[in-house]
Amino acid sequence: MGFLDLFRREAAPRTSRREHQLFDDEFQRKLEMLALVSRRVFAGRLRAERRSKKKGSGLEFADHRDYVPGDDFRSVDWNVYQRFGKLLVRLYEEEEDLSIYLIVDCSTSMGFGGKKKFDQARRLCAALAYVGLANLDRVTIVGVNDAVISRMPTTRGKGRIFKVFEFLSQLESRGVTDLGAALKTFVAQHKRRGLAVLFSDLYDPAGFEAGINMLRFNKFEPYVVELVDPAEARPALKGDVRIYDCETGEERELTVTEGMLDKMQLAVGEYRASIERFCVQKQVPYFPADVNTPFDELVLRVFRRGGFLR
Amino acid sequence: MVFAGLPITELLALAGGAATLTVLLYVLKLRRRPVAVPFARIWDAVFRDRQATELFSKLRRLLSLLFQLALLALLILALGDPKPKAALFDGRHIVVLVDGSASMKAIDVKPNRIEVAKAEVRKLVHGLGSADRALIVEMGSLPSPLSTMSSDVTELDPAIDSLSASDTRADLERGLAFAVDSLRGLPKGEIVVVSDGVLGDLSEVAKHVDLSGAALKFVPIGKSGNNVAISQFSVRRYPLDKSRSEVMLEVANTNDKAVQVELTLLGDGTIIDVSRLGLGPNERLPRYYQDLAGASRTLEAKIRFADGHADDLPADDHAFALMPERHRARVLLISRGNTYLDAALLLDEYLDVTTVSPGQPLPAEHFDVAILDGVAEALPDTVAAALYLNPPAEGSPVKIGHPIKDFGFDTWEKKSPILRFLALGDVQVADGHAFVPAASDHVLGASDQGPILVSGARAGHRFVALGFDPRNSDLVLRVAWPLFVLNSINAFVEEDTSYVSSFRTGDVWRIPVPSSVDSATVVDPHGGHHTVPVKEGRAIYLGEEAGFYKLVAGSGTEAVTSEFAANLSDLAESSITPVSELALGTARANPVVFGAPGSKRELWVYLLAAVLAFSVVEWITYHRRVTV
Repeated sequence: MGFLDLFRREAAPRTSRREHQLFDDEFQRKLEMLALVSRRVFAGRLRAERRSKKKGSGLEFADHRDYVPGDDFRSVDWNVYQRFGKLLVRLYEEEEDLSIYLIVDCSTSMGFGGKKKFDQARRLCAALAYVGLANLDRVTIVGVNDAVISRMPTTRGKGRIFKVFEFLSQLESRGVTDLGAALKTFVAQHKRRGLAVLFSDLYDPAGFEAGINMLRFNKFEPYVVELVDPAEARPALKGDVRIYDCETGEERELTVTEGMLDKMQLAVGEYRASIERFCVQKQVPYFPADVNTPFDELVLRVFRRGGFLR
Repeated sequence: MVFAGLPITELLALAGGAATLTVLLYVLKLRRRPVAVPFARIWDAVFRDRQATELFSKLRRLLSLLFQLALLALLILALGDPKPKAALFDGRHIVVLVDGSASMKAIDVKPNRIEVAKAEVRKLVHGLGSADRALIVEMGSLPSPLSTMSSDVTELDPAIDSLSASDTRADLERGLAFAVDSLRGLPKGEIVVVSDGVLGDLSEVAKHVDLSGAALKFVPIGKSGNNVAISQFSVRRYPLDKSRSEVMLEVANTNDKAVQVELTLLGDGTIIDVSRLGLGPNERLPRYYQDLAGASRTLEAKIRFADGHADDLPADDHAFALMPERHRARVLLISRGNTYLDAALLLDEYLDVTTVSPGQPLPAEHFDVAILDGVAEALPDTVAAALYLNPPAEGSPVKIGHPIKDFGFDTWEKKSPILRFLALGDVQVADGHAFVPAASDHVLGASDQGPILVSGARAGHRFVALGFDPRNSDLVLRVAWPLFVLNSINAFVEEDTSYVSSFRTGDVWRIPVPSSVDSATVVDPHGGHHTVPVKEGRAIYLGEEAGFYKLVAGSGTEAVTSEFAANLSDLAESSITPVSELALGTARANPVVFGAPGSKRELWVYLLAAVLAFSVVEWITYHRRVTV
């Protein structure tokens, strides 16, 4: 660091890293393994297909209802009629393709600290996309910051995974986070409801709740993956500094002491706890993803936690 | 309180300017390092806590400014060199007499007494009041001031460093007289004697010294006095056999208990005798070594305890002596035949005698001495000196007076080197002549009828003339005859004349040099060169170190080099048992109280120390984030 750098703002994270390393051969081998593991884990009860809550002409029995004129006689449950003397019609769950929306936060804060959070988010996104594609689900990937900045059209079949890689590689972390506004656009653009996995650090000046609620209120099934960089909880700062928000540019002057760093650590912990508390209250699956943990291990934890595949 | 440094107006101006600059710098906002964070809102939680202490933070900032202003004030005060008003007046004037005698070389305290004395003096000087002034004096055989009367420690410290002990006794009387003279007319005079108390007879000193109201103080040095010494040491060649010599020495035990010592004698650097002696308490034991043949030039004596360990004063454990250098003297004898003269000349093997009869041509080579037996021929310049025995009137260097009969030596110069060791009182002479000496001539012997033995110089050639034929007296039958002949020859060749085998340190030495020189250089045992004056054929030098010396008389090709030795030889100085108090008659010297009220307190030093302490506290509190 040169002398003048002391008086300059911290340089933005460099983007010279070759993006193709993000999804190299090793990564792809792990994806394949994850796909196999997911099938073994959920075999028998979680087939590739996902059933919707619609009652219809599927194979799985769902419920009975009273017969009304015009119903198909074939659907009358004669056994019940024999027992109880009532005409009841059998209802079946209608099978349909699952729509999986993978929403990647592409704000500047995701690229903070060497893009570790952003890279981890993209790896997790790619992994879950692969699993979804392998299960013949409809996978859509969206990049957001304060708006929907990029979108990969809905696709299915694991042969499309390279399209996923290409799309994720082209994403950049920039702009301000406003999940509420961005996801408002998202729900407006996607009428078909489904599982919406949000990959974000949830550093939203407007509040992380707005984005999650937007998904909930529009009948998406939100799944929150919070990207966590432990280094952010206790930054390597000391002395008189002027901190500024990497997204909004908000400034604060302070003299950093050990006590202040302790308080900062507590504040970060409290913030994350508030996210988890919110998700638990709203029955939104929440999953913290540490940037220092290998992505495949994280994906397995996601599987074990449940909620992603049913 | 007064300011001895910068004047108050300059101090105020400086303080105003510096304070303004400090405040300006403080008011200027600290340029902080910009650092990006991913989500500044989280820091708000931290800031909420800080808000509560904002007032205290501001107060701490103010405290920090006040802290720096206080530092500034202390520094400017230090520049002013503040002193108590009383400190500028009525300072003491102190003459510090530091004993530089041989006893201060004693090693009963580490490293030795003089170094301990220097430390004590340094402590004394550093404890002086700001108005006190001190003069450092080394008290040896002569008092030597090493500084001016000064309060400046930077001047006094080098003076203290240059203090040293020599192989002499300290002359307290002279030292006190010097101190009294130095303090004359000065207020609050004090004389501080720093010594082991081995200062000779103090009652005699008390009789001759009037302190004139000056306070006498004493700093005792030393703790024990375990010592043996060589208190006398001399050597001489036998007059009639100069290849042999005899040594007289005296060893002394200055302790109160008996000791066994080992005495070693070295001739020309080689051990020629080792003996063990028992010495009783405070015993002095003379020893004679006769007929010594092992040394031709130097003699040394060393003493130590028989068990091998050294005593507390090494300076008196080694004595030096030097015998006169021998060389062959060329003698021209002009005689018709004189058995007594021939016999006398045969006694000294270092004589080359050439005999010629009167009237024969004289050899052309150089002769140290010509002996003219009953003749007075003209001598060439190649003959340096002449001994005339009963010279005839014609050619005699001294005018021949009236004839005399039945006489003897009624008076003679007993201290003359020519008549040394001679007993002439009952010499009987049948007949001869009285001399009529010239004004420059020196009568060495005379009868009641006139001078009969005269010395002098003619045209640069020295002579001795005897006014009778020795064969007409009983002188030739006496031991005095050959001694007279050989003494005369030795006097002419300037060998062994008034020879002193060793000098005593602390005395003014008068070393014989060839009469023709007017300057000389003394080379001391450490190789130091000292140009010394020559007066009446003697080089004058105050020697303070024991050992072998060289004396270079004259310059260029005519320079003559001789050697001599010097010894402490002072039993009083060898008695090194220290005393704890000094009493001059009825007056007792008071002890010096170091760090007493009035000792040196430079306030600016304390102010700077306070600044340093403040800075350290400020540095620690800053980095601990206490004051920021």
